Amino acid sequence: MLSKHDIYEMGNRSKGRETVATVSIDSEVCEQILQSLKEINSKLDKLVVQTEPIPPKIKQLDIVDSMDVMTLLSLPDHLRTTATTLFEIGPATAEEIATSTKKERAVESNYLNQLVRMDHVEKYRTGRKVYFQIKDNA
Amino acid sequence: MALCLAVHSSKGGSGKTSISINLAAAYALEGKNVCLIDIDMRGPSLYTFFDAKPPLWINDFLSKKCGMMDIVEDVSSRFQTSGKFFVAYANPEIKEIRDFACQDRSWQSKALKTLISGKKELFANGIDVVIFDTSPGVEYESVNAVAASDMVLVTHNSTNVSLNAIEQLITGIYNPLSKKVALINNMCHGNIMNSIVEEEVFGIPILENISCMCDVAVKSNNQVLVISEPQHWFSRSIINIKDKLERFQ
Repeated sequence: MLSKHDIYEMGNRSKGRETVATVSIDSEVCEQILQSLKEINSKLDKLVVQTEPIPPKIKQLDIVDSMDVMTLLSLPDHLRTTATTLFEIGPATAEEIATSTKKERAVESNYLNQLVRMDHVEKYRTGRKVYFQIKDNA
Repeated sequence: MALCLAVHSSKGGSGKTSISINLAAAYALEGKNVCLIDIDMRGPSLYTFFDAKPPLWINDFLSKKCGMMDIVEDVSSRFQTSGKFFVAYANPEIKEIRDFACQDRSWQSKALKTLISGKKELFANGIDVVIFDTSPGVEYESVNAVAASDMVLVTHNSTNVSLNAIEQLITGIYNPLSKKVALINNMCHGNIMNSIVEEEVFGIPILENISCMCDVAVKSNNQVLVISEPQHWFSRSIINIKDKLERFQ
């Protein structure tokens, strides 16, 4: 594909040869050739736009990221430990997860809320307690 | 005692099923209540060995069509074990295997939760040891079984290909899931048995070196060797593995 710069350069080179060539080339003809090249370039640009792939529509399932075991393995260590514990013990409070992982409740609460934001975990309230569970995405 | 064990390998043909069956029988002979579960969903084996035609399979359980206790068969009286010996089978029908292979990540996520709940259901019903006989490599069902288990027993057939792939499993699956892992060198060539001195590979302990014995493959078609031939080398190796596992936990 010729860019406008290439065409400009060609024009310049063409003009350069014209000045050194012993064979006389009419400058009007050169201008016509340059104009034709610009038109071709412009049409090619339109074709390129038409043939560029259209980004596929993102499926809903891809947006809602299922927490399968392969996803679990790809999590950073601290989140994976929290998520694995949540898989093992089922719906649990941050306190219960912290007891199992032997970390501070506030730390686990932070990790659990990160997993909620990543759409892997959902939280709900029962009375005064907040429970977390692995999200079912189907 | 409540132990959930996944018998896994990097490659096929390493002896997972023979070791799983005999280890389960060894626990049941000792008086432990055991449940052996076929998690090799794409290449089921246990239904052939036990000549089983159950009304419900592990496939039905993972699809939440029934409870775990609905799918187990009690083979205790058949093998005259003092402990309960339960077996759950994977469905060998090709349609079921195809359906399973087509399941998406969301289904596999639920299957992991279901498998963990099934393990808890078995423990709640008095089962002491759950053994998952898995498919080799990084199949969804195998990694789910590893994630659901307390410990992984890796069978290895002494080839470099198997060894390299095991390193991948350790660093990519077992360690990230914080699983205890032990290895069995199975089918070792008789000439090198006395020269094996390693006690661990990639930092995981070798529980047993079992030499290659042609009669094990033949007899394992219809016999549980730890029951039919308790003095057989293979049977004694299985008992060693069981004893070492108890100390290893």
